[in-house]
Amino acid sequence: MLLLDIRNLTLELETSQGLIRAVDRVSLSLREGEIRGLVGESGSGKSLIAKAIVGVLNQRWRIKADRFHWCGVDLLQLPYDQQRKIIGRDIAMIYQEPSKCLDPTALIAEQLHESIPNSQLKGSWWNRARQKRKKAIALLHKVGIKEHQSVLESYPYQLSEGVCQKVMIAMAIAKNPKLLIADEPTTALEASTQAQLFRLISSLNQLKSMSVLLISNELDSIARYTHRLSVLYCGQLVESGETAKLLAQPYHPYTDALIKSVPEFQPDLAPKSQLYALPGSIPTLQHLPVGCRLGPRCPNARRECVHTPSLERKQHHYFSCHFPLQYKEPR
Amino acid sequence: MAKFQWLQHKTEHGPLSQLWASFRQQHSAVIGLILFGFFGLIALFGPLLTPYDPYLQNPDVLLLPPSWDDMGDVRYLLGTDDLGRDQFSRLIKGASYTFGIALITALGALLLGLLLGVLAGMSKGFRASVFNHILDLALTIPSLLLAIIIVAILGPGLMNTIWAIMLALLPQFVHGIRNTILQQLEQDYVVAYRLDGANNWQILRHVIFPNTWEQLTVLFSMALSTAILDIAALGFLGLGAQAPAAEWGLMVADALDLIYLSPWSIALPGLLIFIAVLSVNLVSDGLRTAVRKRQES
Amino acid sequence: MSHLLEVVDLSKSYRKQQGLFRQTTVTALDQVSFSMNAGETLAVVGETGSGKSTLAKVLVGIEQPDQGEIRLAGQSVTLSHYRKYNHVIRYMFQDAERALNPSQKVGAMLDDVLRFSTVLDEKQRQQKVLQSLQQVGLLDEHISFYPHMFSAGQQQRLALARALILDPKILILDEALTVLDPTLRAQIVNLLLELQQQRSLSYLLISKNLRLVRHISDYCLVMQHGKVVESGPTEQLLLQPQHPHTKKLMGLS
Repeated sequence: MLLLDIRNLTLELETSQGLIRAVDRVSLSLREGEIRGLVGESGSGKSLIAKAIVGVLNQRWRIKADRFHWCGVDLLQLPYDQQRKIIGRDIAMIYQEPSKCLDPTALIAEQLHESIPNSQLKGSWWNRARQKRKKAIALLHKVGIKEHQSVLESYPYQLSEGVCQKVMIAMAIAKNPKLLIADEPTTALEASTQAQLFRLISSLNQLKSMSVLLISNELDSIARYTHRLSVLYCGQLVESGETAKLLAQPYHPYTDALIKSVPEFQPDLAPKSQLYALPGSIPTLQHLPVGCRLGPRCPNARRECVHTPSLERKQHHYFSCHFPLQYKEPR
Repeated sequence: MAKFQWLQHKTEHGPLSQLWASFRQQHSAVIGLILFGFFGLIALFGPLLTPYDPYLQNPDVLLLPPSWDDMGDVRYLLGTDDLGRDQFSRLIKGASYTFGIALITALGALLLGLLLGVLAGMSKGFRASVFNHILDLALTIPSLLLAIIIVAILGPGLMNTIWAIMLALLPQFVHGIRNTILQQLEQDYVVAYRLDGANNWQILRHVIFPNTWEQLTVLFSMALSTAILDIAALGFLGLGAQAPAAEWGLMVADALDLIYLSPWSIALPGLLIFIAVLSVNLVSDGLRTAVRKRQES
Repeated sequence: MSHLLEVVDLSKSYRKQQGLFRQTTVTALDQVSFSMNAGETLAVVGETGSGKSTLAKVLVGIEQPDQGEIRLAGQSVTLSHYRKYNHVIRYMFQDAERALNPSQKVGAMLDDVLRFSTVLDEKQRQQKVLQSLQQVGLLDEHISFYPHMFSAGQQQRLALARALILDPKILILDEALTVLDPTLRAQIVNLLLELQQQRSLSYLLISKNLRLVRHISDYCLVMQHGKVVESGPTEQLLLQPQHPHTKKLMGLS
């Protein structure tokens, strides 16, 4: 069953220069128990989509969608209170800089206790404190923190970024959410901790069949851990499909460039040789090109590209390009 | 690729025009600026505009009400005072006293503050901390009180008032300038300039001043409104400008005995003080908002 | 034969005041030695706090070493004489935007660099500014732009132009490539590689991105707690890491 089903999500910002369409008709769906990667460079609107899903965009944003279903319920149609209730119950989110998301003046123990919902506790109220503590320790063990005692009794600044992020995950999974949104969870972390964290997330996904929306600006770092990928560019959905197939046979020139620009995906590339790079720079929100937004940078752009291409489908592989790359069938 | 960028960004300008663009969007600030300019012009060209000599006493027309009153005379637009001097001319003359001298005082304090603030900001260690503590001590005393103390030592008079207010404003200038300079020195681009081979003076001129003049303007405008109030207050207390001078605060004090006979002779200079301070505050507030907006974008 | 840059037993420690009388010493660099030749790229990898940033700062002269020697072409030098040595070693900041003066036009900024550190006259400076802009793929028009009018990738190019305008022999890249988006990073990497071939520039690349290190560096230095724990040719080192810390960085253990 589809957990999350978004069709043609459009996010527009009201500014003094008029409406800016930061996210342009993006479709995104998530099955139960899958890890979906959302890849895009800065300005691609990936964080905006995440914020729209958890409903924390501020008043200046206009949200439109043909369909915005969560477990079959259209969230946009619901009154605000109910929307919050559903989201609060089912969706959790972790952010880029964990040490800034934790309250610097409170102990980790207090913050963890607060994240455990009362509905999970049994027995009378005088038992609750003890139960919460037990639960908090169990949560820390789940995210791979063994020395729970010292972590519980420290303030965020005393812990490393990696441990902070693990604590954030522990707080996120305290209410057994159906979906965990991880917005660039590893950018602030060391290389060695990054792999550890991704492994933690994917093990949580397997053990508790919790779906994960993994957001990143680097294709190579999350490719290994995701089942499906969606690639965004400047607020447009460029390509989406199963990770392995998408990496093996990208149809969109942008996905192709993303893959080729990373040395790791090119094992036979000689060291110090030139990397494949798209010319030009990412346009700012005020100066988005019409039609396909990759247009000015695309190596095979033609006249038709001033019209926005529609999403085309080849089996379970979606792409939006007038002139998809025709690859030879893999031998 | 860059060709596109060039066309797209043509509408954007340098820091100064950006600041002006966001200042212009605030109506109250623009009104304040117009009033400010008006006062500035009057302070400069006041002597050319006065219909009468502001000190000429005409015993025939004592305590004449303003011209729109039944008893008024159109030749004396805003009436006369108890010595038969033309109110209109005196108020115009007063602009160059209260407003003009406040401007000069604040400017002098700014320049002195700049010198000391730069010294304090660029020095390190023991010297800087001694400097800092003395300043903090001076900042705890309200500027008007400080000015009164200084006048009490120097003796009353306009010239002494100017020095007193300048000295009283100094601590807040030095403090503000020192803080902005320290803030700038932490920036990466200052280090980058040092690596480029710039010495202290070059860093000050090319990096720190261009990036701090906005804060300096805000600081200056806040000090200006304090200076106007202080000059008027000292005049009112009889410590500042002395008797025949047409200083607004002094005019209020002089007419205090006649409050029932001719209320307008108090109301008019009082109103002008109010508008002058208001205009400065509006401009300063608008500037602050504009600076903040520019830094955010 | 003397190396272009040789560092011998470099040590640096910071003293931290704790309480009124207690002081603790934090060792940022502990007897670091290495050497590099013209046209080579040396990568320094390590976790935060391993001293790799301090190393960069010492090499560029922002910080003074407590001990040890830095030799340029065989001669021992004190790098804090910026005007003298910024023709040899230049530094690129992690965040290009923050290292650019927001209230100065690009042309004036580049001109200032030449004015402070060279004896060129105005016409020669002008020529040099345009030349260095073209070198990194920017246009002549850009001299009348303010830094905020550039995109992140262009700002990085600008920082590169600023570093290269003094024709240095060594360029220190302190995480300068980490913050860029993938497609822009590929552009800058290409540019750097091209410049290295043309002018036999040497790079000291400080990074935590091992994939990038593998692609562009010749030699690699692994640091932990201020010490060099492993070093050698990059390919060999990454194929057969010996030290447990290197393995940990590679995510193997």
